[in-house]
Amino acid sequence: MAGAREVRKRIKSVENTKQLTRTMELVATSKLKRATDRVYAARPYAGALDEIVRSLYSAELAERFPVLRRPTEMKRAAVLLLTANRGQAGAFNANLIREARHRLEELRAAGAETELHVAGRKGIQFFRFRGEPMETMRTDIGDAPTSEDAESLIGPLRDKFESGALDAVYLVSSEFRSAMSTPPRVRELLPIQPGETAASVDVFIMSPPGDHILGRLLPLYLRNAVYTSLVENAAAEQGSRRTAMKNATDNASEMLEYLTRSYNRARQAQITQEIAEIVGGAAGLE
Amino acid sequence: MAEGTLRVHVVSPEKTVFEGEASALVAPAWDGMVGILPGHAPFLALVGVGALTVDLPGGGSETFQVAGGALKVLANKVTVLTEYAGSEPPEVIPVEAILHPEDVSVSAGNP
Repeated sequence: MAGAREVRKRIKSVENTKQLTRTMELVATSKLKRATDRVYAARPYAGALDEIVRSLYSAELAERFPVLRRPTEMKRAAVLLLTANRGQAGAFNANLIREARHRLEELRAAGAETELHVAGRKGIQFFRFRGEPMETMRTDIGDAPTSEDAESLIGPLRDKFESGALDAVYLVSSEFRSAMSTPPRVRELLPIQPGETAASVDVFIMSPPGDHILGRLLPLYLRNAVYTSLVENAAAEQGSRRTAMKNATDNASEMLEYLTRSYNRARQAQITQEIAEIVGGAAGLE
Repeated sequence: MAEGTLRVHVVSPEKTVFEGEASALVAPAWDGMVGILPGHAPFLALVGVGALTVDLPGGGSETFQVAGGALKVLANKVTVLTEYAGSEPPEVIPVEAILHPEDVSVSAGNP
């Protein structure tokens, strides 16, 4: 058994680590709260926009708008990956990176050229290390993403898609189901495919005509899809970090308990030995 | 005028700006102001730039500056989606969200 002094040293070190992870847990918890509020605040707009686009969408219109164009063959596709700028968030970044690699491999296996766009320092570090070329690298998107961030990410890709230089754009990000469940997910951003048209087709008075409305709303729809993914991803990052740091804190507590026990035992052993020596010495004098 | 009130939602991408009952609503559409009263027919319009006024049922009103987006009226429910919403006019007008009347030839109906 290690001596009492060594054990004391280790206890001190584990205590320091525990304090650190506990602080990070608290910081993540408060950031998570704000990030979750943003996710919920973004939902009414996304829902309402989706509803309107769906009620306007029809197959004939699909041929008139470049963002709805369905390419006959997939020659070149882009993957846009959202990761975090910081680590210490459990498997959060690793999951996203793995998902993006799967998608890239699938596309290549299908004979398509691929291009990779990465936001977040962690994703960039990984692909740089692997020697995988990246078309764009962004690290300027923080904890509170804005619509402008979304536009700056998707704008160039939309232009490329409209000009025919790209046949599909996929977005890899985390879905924010709850703070505990944030699975990675791949969304097909382009071509835009609105969901099924609502069963009840209401007859609207439109101003301007429906195709003009759709023409203006589609870019907003696309940007909003990216925006909601950005806020969900930010919330998922904080959720994962909180979980990871909570586990680390719990592990440190467990370890402290064990170390304290060994320390007490070592101390007890030392005292017992000293008493035995005194008793022995006294006995020798008689 | 039909009885009842309008259920109004004004939402921007970041947040819900207004949610509640209203007796009337005046909004800047792409080609001019539109007024909505309870009992309005189903209506869908693009939103331009300007002041959106919501008249509250108990009297008084609330005004927001909006820019771009869409307005939908269905069964006394009004949803205003706008790219920008605030008490001050936007510093930068989201040009891509605004349709100018001269860009539309209504008779042809082509995009």
